[in-house]
Amino acid sequence: MKLINNRNIYKTAFALSFILISIFTMLGIGRVLDYLNTGASRTSMLHLETESEDVYLPKVSWTNLVNPAREMEKNTLGKLERDYLFSWYVKNNALEHNTSKGIADYYTQNTRHNLYQTVNYNKAHDITIENTTLKHFPDLEFYSEDGQLVVFKDRNVIEYQKIYQNKKLLSIVQDTASYQVMMLLEDGFWRVRHLLKMDAEPFIKDSIQPHPIYTVSKNKILKNNKPYTIKGINYYPKNSAWDTFGERFNKDTIAQDFDIIKKANLNTVRIFIQYGDFGKAVIHPEKMQKLKTFLDLAQAKNLAVIVTLFDFYSDYTLESWTLTHRHAENIVSTFKDHKAILAWDLKNEPNLDFENRDKGNVLAWLEHMTTVIKENDPNHLLTIGWSNSVEATNLSDKVDFISYHFYNDITHVEYETNKLMKSTQKPVVIEEFGIPSYGGIWNFWESSIQKQADYHKQIQTYFKKNDYSFMSWTLYDFPQVPDQVAGKWPWQKYRQKKFGFIDEKGINKPAFKYISN
Amino acid sequence: MIKKSLHIVFPILLVFLFAFAAAKINNQADSFILQSKQQRFIAGKPITLSFSSTSKTANPKLFLIHTYGKTVLDSQNNNGQITFKIPAMYCLKTGVLSWYLIQDETKITNGSFTILPNDNTVTKIENYLGPPSLLTGTDHFTMMVAIPTDKFDNPKQDGTEVLIKDQFLNDITVTQKTTKSFIAWKNIYSRTKSGKMLLSTECNNTDSKEFETEVKPSIGEDFTIDFSRNHSFADGNQITSLTTSIIKDRYGNLVGDGTLVTFQVVTNENVLLKTYASTINGVAIGQLLHPDHQDTFKVKAYITGIAQSKTISIPYLPLIKNFKYTFTEKNRRITVGPVRSFMKQLVPDGVKVELKIFRNEELLETKIVETNKGIATFILLAPFYPEKEYQFEITTLGITQKTDTKQYEVN
Repeated sequence: MKLINNRNIYKTAFALSFILISIFTMLGIGRVLDYLNTGASRTSMLHLETESEDVYLPKVSWTNLVNPAREMEKNTLGKLERDYLFSWYVKNNALEHNTSKGIADYYTQNTRHNLYQTVNYNKAHDITIENTTLKHFPDLEFYSEDGQLVVFKDRNVIEYQKIYQNKKLLSIVQDTASYQVMMLLEDGFWRVRHLLKMDAEPFIKDSIQPHPIYTVSKNKILKNNKPYTIKGINYYPKNSAWDTFGERFNKDTIAQDFDIIKKANLNTVRIFIQYGDFGKAVIHPEKMQKLKTFLDLAQAKNLAVIVTLFDFYSDYTLESWTLTHRHAENIVSTFKDHKAILAWDLKNEPNLDFENRDKGNVLAWLEHMTTVIKENDPNHLLTIGWSNSVEATNLSDKVDFISYHFYNDITHVEYETNKLMKSTQKPVVIEEFGIPSYGGIWNFWESSIQKQADYHKQIQTYFKKNDYSFMSWTLYDFPQVPDQVAGKWPWQKYRQKKFGFIDEKGINKPAFKYISN
Repeated sequence: MIKKSLHIVFPILLVFLFAFAAAKINNQADSFILQSKQQRFIAGKPITLSFSSTSKTANPKLFLIHTYGKTVLDSQNNNGQITFKIPAMYCLKTGVLSWYLIQDETKITNGSFTILPNDNTVTKIENYLGPPSLLTGTDHFTMMVAIPTDKFDNPKQDGTEVLIKDQFLNDITVTQKTTKSFIAWKNIYSRTKSGKMLLSTECNNTDSKEFETEVKPSIGEDFTIDFSRNHSFADGNQITSLTTSIIKDRYGNLVGDGTLVTFQVVTNENVLLKTYASTINGVAIGQLLHPDHQDTFKVKAYITGIAQSKTISIPYLPLIKNFKYTFTEKNRRITVGPVRSFMKQLVPDGVKVELKIFRNEELLETKIVETNKGIATFILLAPFYPEKEYQFEITTLGITQKTDTKQYEVN
């Protein structure tokens, strides 16, 4: 008898279906039991388990905590602030995605239904609104004796929103308003009970006097009121390309490099701080310590530093604005009095993101970031490192000096720089330039160490003649280059490895003679 | 041919050029002027914003920022008259409503108006009272917070009058408060008497429900204790009751029932004994077993951390002066008793009798037996006590008697 026959097929099918039915029944019972167990644990009743991730961190400064009733406890204030920001976060999220998720957690029963109505209305009319608030200045007015009710006035909330209808951007609106808020403590959450939008109040001007070392006058950068021409270099330690503050951070290595730079008649270095590496919105203290060590060394060797922020970062959506603002605020306010810093470079080559990340988004993000940095550090200059001279005119009224990166044909350097200077009336810095010494199969033997030396020799004559501020790329050749920098292909990578004035073995290349003028 | 086509194309081109130029000029010249100048609206009333425009076709949009939401409105252009109807949900809620007029992705003009609570509707009042119970005294208080709103749950404007009322015994107080930042509030201070306090609020003839707060007695003051007992003999059987005076707080209110009182006893041998009792109607009654030997108990009572009494002394008299014992069955059975009490009655069953067995002044063993009908019996079995002679010490009810050296037969 054949093994495969109708009878056996039926038998197998029968057995298999029995097993399948059993499996599904078991799964079903499991699900039911699982469902019946939800909410059974006491911790879930008190919402003690809600561990919050940093998703929304606009600037919050409590201007006043004195109130006629109960004294505000620090712990309660932290919880209140967290829940209040969450109430904004869920509201923003509701308006952006037309969903009611989370609203019930941060608005009381009577209040939440007002939000639901808007969500329904906007859903029906295909309206979505991306929102973020940038600043809150809450002022406590009342905290009840039993600690269950609080009233405060959130002064001058800056709301920034992008309005879409039928998926098409209608407009971008920035609005400032004050809000009177009443919140109740309900099963572990502070929930909004009443909200009232009010007119904004006049801003109180900060009376702190800046005391800068580096200033700008017409198209000159000044140091202690004397003209200062940046003769600089982009710097990564030899073995830590794109990872200055990583595991291999070494004070001695940097001190030696600073001696080399100083002896080569340079006065400025440019460094990079990576957003993720430094801990995003909440900065890792050990990274800050390393940055301080670095800056202190530079100060000791009398070198100025341009610190480039937000390297390897390209999320410009409103959702992440507040997080990036806290990142910048943390770094910039910590070092606002550091004498080694010449300028903050807001972002390296942001125009490369114009195409993929929407130019409007990128520029809006940059513009708000200039405000954040200026507010937190009035002492240092501010620039943006554009990747070419054409885009460098963007936001030129927001920065102290214009930086652009010159990788075009050497003969154009004077033309491009002079044109930029004329159009902006601000100092212009050629913040990156250079060619690789790599000549090999991947670039058809295009360059060589000699060609590199010739290039630098020639370009330095232009710089000297015009007294341009310059920063070359870069001090060292790198044995390793991360993929994010130039790309993953060898013809991209090999070029990038050989831009240095000093090769991997630590021997000066011929171009080193022309590192400065 | 070419000329002919030029003749045709050129006028068409001209027309197009003109049309576009006109359209362009027209576009630039589009101006919108807000016509509804009203700055204040009352919640619940419909609101329309109207603009006059030079364009009869333009359909700008209006972006609204309201307390509880943001949205975009489409316009109706009626011969240069552009109107926006504010959705009902936004007309109901108070606050500043900011608007931005948007055309072709640009903000043309913006402004705002205020919606005020509707005082013509029924007032609703929401109250929060806390803490829910108080202690007597002048520095404790409960806080009544009232939030009067209109029918649409909009908090009333600052300065709205609210009456906050409280009743305690014959004392009824009505205070007028005005709202500020949504709320009117008052601290209602406790009284020196304990009891129930009733509270309520009123605004625009709307009354709240009745709220209740309990004024509980404060912590007790120091008190005295006393004792009572059936007799003063240390019989190890009777119970001495320890009674506190009526414990009151400093305003004369009985402390709450169930206040725990600890009675601490120190005996003559400095042994510490404790007994506990909870108060009922201010009095706690502790119980203490009489000792089985003459002793003096020094008793002090505490409400831990709060109040205490003075120490009292309770003497216990010995129950017996001596007792009889006999050795029988070749000294192997020792019968103690009958032990007689203060009226010659047999002592209650269970009185402890202790027998210490010595040999050559060395303690071998201590046996304990309780009396039954006044008699306690010890049996010294030969296999366990093989020696020739033993001495004994017998103790009961605090009396110790030493026997002679007894001789035993050795097999």
